[in-house]
Amino acid sequence: MNSEGEVTNLLTAWGKGDPNALNELMPLVYNELHRMAQRAWRGLDQGDTLQPTALINEAYLKLAGAENASYQNRCHFFAVACTAMRQILVNHARSRHTGKRGSGQLAVSLDNVQVAVHQEAAEVVALHEALEQLQAIDPRKSKVVEMRYFGGLSIEETAEAMGLSVITVNRDWRLARTWLMREMNGGTS
Amino acid sequence: MNSQAEWQEIERLFHEAIELPIHKRQELLASASGTVRAEVESLLKIDDEAFFTAPPVHLAADLMQRQPSSLSPGERIGSYEIESLISVGGMGEVYRARGPAGTAVALKILRRHLVASPQAMDRFHTEARAASALHHPNIVKVCGSGESSTGLFLAMEWVEGATLRQLIDQGAVEFRAAIDWSAQAARALAAAHAAGILHRDIKPDNVIVGENGVLKILDFGLARLEGPVHLEPNSIGASGTISGTLSGTLLYMSPEIFRGETATSASDVFSLGALVYELCAGRHPFAGDTPLDVYEAIECRVIAAPSTMRAGIAAEIDEFILRMLNRDPAARPSAAECCAVFSRFSART
Repeated sequence: MNSEGEVTNLLTAWGKGDPNALNELMPLVYNELHRMAQRAWRGLDQGDTLQPTALINEAYLKLAGAENASYQNRCHFFAVACTAMRQILVNHARSRHTGKRGSGQLAVSLDNVQVAVHQEAAEVVALHEALEQLQAIDPRKSKVVEMRYFGGLSIEETAEAMGLSVITVNRDWRLARTWLMREMNGGTS
Repeated sequence: MNSQAEWQEIERLFHEAIELPIHKRQELLASASGTVRAEVESLLKIDDEAFFTAPPVHLAADLMQRQPSSLSPGERIGSYEIESLISVGGMGEVYRARGPAGTAVALKILRRHLVASPQAMDRFHTEARAASALHHPNIVKVCGSGESSTGLFLAMEWVEGATLRQLIDQGAVEFRAAIDWSAQAARALAAAHAAGILHRDIKPDNVIVGENGVLKILDFGLARLEGPVHLEPNSIGASGTISGTLSGTLLYMSPEIFRGETATSASDVFSLGALVYELCAGRHPFAGDTPLDVYEAIECRVIAAPSTMRAGIAAEIDEFILRMLNRDPAARPSAAECCAVFSRFSART
């Protein structure tokens, strides 16, 4: 498997502006997070939630190692991991939403639970798409949403990971949320 | 789309305006250009409070808990051959399948994560055994159970028909039919109670009316497998609707179950009462917009007599249905009494 050193080196390289480092980093982080999420979430009871943040922290300790990681690297890791977490959650919501099954049987009746789940999955996918539009206008705000919503980070953690002030994150979060809601409700822009 | 300068202006005005009382916002926006102003105004109209509260972990978790792939036609589970997927529910999936002698069965597969705990497994076997001992024309027969690599399975007699949920959703149920079905459901319940078996989850989704008019109750004794009920904040979706396993069941839940007490035969009678009320009155007795409304209704709302919802319901029927819904379990009639009374009503209507 990937060594601690490999991830640390990639994080450092990315911090120095090497764009290829991110391309190599992303699959490593995605796969590790997905593996951990599968292990953690499979046994989850209705009502429990295990926050992505906890998994991201754990993945960081595992992939980068606590000792030799710099503060910079940690911030970079969180940025990558939140994107990976977004992909994991959106991919699952997507497969849930389209819900095509191997049997080719389409006359599947759905109970109330399933209807609610499908609706929620559709909302997550719609949010993800609106977020892509926001990214084109204001990448920073879209990153804030990614970290807050998909990564489960608090305002303070987001500020720390992105090197922003708490006030800025608060303002970004508020406008981004409002803008996204408007877009998802079939907005007017 | 807006230019960068416009976007910055929108951002500045949005934050400034949102701090102002509504009547002062107009003034602030008066100086802005048309597009900027329209954009800010449309954003100020959005109420984002209810959304983005928690990462959608449960969606991914839910999917990860499922079998990696559904069963395909032709696959074998024990001695059953899968034909098609019928429904996906809280506990797992239901398939139409063929048994050894070529008979059609409904094959219920339990989710892997439920099976993961040894206690759940034991409970499944105990309940399946008890359920298969029930032989009654108004109870769906359990004809086999077991384990396979995909999980636990339960084979039940195949009934061609529609669930009461489907029938209610199709529109008002004829009064004659409502009383007849109530009598048949009560008969099933009385037989089960006499054998010492509770249902624990009587609701329209668990009652099926065959094409021949014979009503059958599904899933006797199995509801408990879904585990205890929690009313957690996160079981309430962004729109205030109920999500999770609660949605179907909550409306038919007795006040004592809500309070976390043990289910008794009287709890089944209460759930049946809610169902009978809905069939006769054409409206649910505890309808509410949010789980809390429903809870409040079940706990303390005065229940309107069914006859106030639908003309022609005799006072005697009104009174009996309300007795089934009495908040005091001891004041409710037994299932056997329900059976006798509805059979009598049925003969008269």
